[in-house]
Amino acid sequence: MSEWAEPRPQQPWLYPYRQDAQSTRLGEPVFRPFVQVSLANGDRSTSQLTGLIDTGADAILASNLLTVELDIDLAESEGESQHAVGGRTLTARYKTISLRLHSADGAQEQYLEWQAKIGFVEDWHSDGLVLLGSVGFLDRFTVTASRFAQAVAIEGRDTFDQRFGVVEVG
Amino acid sequence: MKPIRTDFKGYEGQYVAIDLRTGKVVIANDDPHVVLREAKGRDHVVVHGRVPHADEPLYVGMG
Repeated sequence: MSEWAEPRPQQPWLYPYRQDAQSTRLGEPVFRPFVQVSLANGDRSTSQLTGLIDTGADAILASNLLTVELDIDLAESEGESQHAVGGRTLTARYKTISLRLHSADGAQEQYLEWQAKIGFVEDWHSDGLVLLGSVGFLDRFTVTASRFAQAVAIEGRDTFDQRFGVVEVG
Repeated sequence: MKPIRTDFKGYEGQYVAIDLRTGKVVIANDDPHVVLREAKGRDHVVVHGRVPHADEPLYVGMG
């Protein structure tokens, strides 16, 4: 499924929560589960970007600002969908490209890479330029976020079943 | 684990990149493409996004 840049780091990868520039809670700093990701399209790639892990999101969404760096023409997208977020309706236009998760220390050449469908959105207001939802990110890993520990752990996706057993539905 | 703290004051309206080892803003510019270009290939440096002004509305969720 994934491609590792060498040397292959041992999981879990632990990411400390990071301060959010956008939100304040009655004047207090807000810390969020951010991880470092980058996007690649052919021989083009972005810098490392702040990715917000969002278990409530179904897709991976990103600012359309990044299409310039990636040389992506959204007129040739694979489809689009409407998302109602924050009282507004946004249009995401999708392209399947490479998504990279970088190690916690931000080493540029230490990452996991896989193909994912990314929905590019105009008029982006999120803190961070990428939102990491279920399909394409949370289905790739076991992700544990703890506000108490103020950290996120990223492990192999089979770790959940090994830890808790297979959850039967119905 | 200690969270990474960043002092965003003074960067309102700008796009910023931070150094993950210190939490400090190391690149800031009104043009996001300048920040993305200057952060490219740098270890420990991550583009964070745009710092809002204090009077901007707080959006719920991704918006």
